[in-house]
Amino acid sequence: MTTKSLGIFLALVLFLACVPVFAHHSFAAEFDVNQPITLKGVVTKVDWLNPHIYLYVDVKDTNGKTVNWSVEGAPPNTLYRLGWRKDTLKPGDPVTIDAFKAKDGSSTANARQVLLPDGRKVFAGSADDGGPKATPTK
Amino acid sequence: MNKLMLIAALAASAIAAQSFAAKPEKTSSSTSIPDMSGVWQGPYTPDLTKPLGHDLPYTPLGAQRFKNVVLADDPASYCLPVGPARGIQAPMPFQIVQSQGFAVILFEYQHTYRLIYTDGRAHPDDVEPFRWFGDSIGHYEGDSLVVDTVGIGDRTWLDTAGHQHSDQLHLVERFQKLDANNMKWSVTFEDPKMYKEPFTVTLPLKKQNTVIMMYSCEENEKDRGHLDATKH
Repeated sequence: MTTKSLGIFLALVLFLACVPVFAHHSFAAEFDVNQPITLKGVVTKVDWLNPHIYLYVDVKDTNGKTVNWSVEGAPPNTLYRLGWRKDTLKPGDPVTIDAFKAKDGSSTANARQVLLPDGRKVFAGSADDGGPKATPTK
Repeated sequence: MNKLMLIAALAASAIAAQSFAAKPEKTSSSTSIPDMSGVWQGPYTPDLTKPLGHDLPYTPLGAQRFKNVVLADDPASYCLPVGPARGIQAPMPFQIVQSQGFAVILFEYQHTYRLIYTDGRAHPDDVEPFRWFGDSIGHYEGDSLVVDTVGIGDRTWLDTAGHQHSDQLHLVERFQKLDANNMKWSVTFEDPKMYKEPFTVTLPLKKQNTVIMMYSCEENEKDRGHLDATKH
């Protein structure tokens, strides 16, 4: 990525962090704003598909057991316009994601801020009404 | 001789200039509608009370329906059509195409469309087949396209916050062209079953330097199961 395109990408990411993007459901209906979680692990799969992209990430829990989390992001069109590409994250990439857990208790979360392998922090959320903005990476 | 030729040339120029001047006039009288073609987008409006600045004027039934709404039941979360106004309220662009006798709005969201007839026809007597997006007829008033829509049915929501409507919903929209890159969209919601009086929401629309992209809600839909689980 050139310096110019990186600048455009970061500007767009900043824009996204200020503007909630659309999902086809209410954030509050599926995710719990009171259950933030930081997922640090390795990407196992990327679904660059509508209506949301999904990142699958192997994360070790406190007992050392590996859990594969499915992490929902914004629609691919929205992310594409903001500079994301389908290979921005690839299987094998280390990643840290600030997210909010699903209300149903499954290993599912809604991504807000993603720390990419190259050190960039980007917003990937699919905030609907009431969905929180990006939160600092812990 | 030279003088005569000069006079003839000037006369010919004058005639040519006249016919040139007449051409745009003729063209403008036959196509004197504001050019709204292009890709547009307004601010995402998941809750109509925000731009309105106050709560909606519910009837008792409207208040009860909104109080009991289950957000997980949003028709949009079932990938069903969102209706004519909510498509404009979405944070995805849409393209306006104008032609003789009709205009079309192509929505990126759910990759669907609205047809607005501007040929002077009235709404059909039976609007039942037009559910979801309703039957839209429109006409141009100066810099604006005024659209009247009925027959939406009662299965769409007015917004993601869950404001409801009945099969009596009647929309009057005004797309006003302000300049090359800006429009003002006003929509009046009238639904005597759910709201004591009509209310009007106004949003700015901006021309977008983008194209409409593909969006298939069903492609990899995984939210339904999680949403259903929250209802129990």
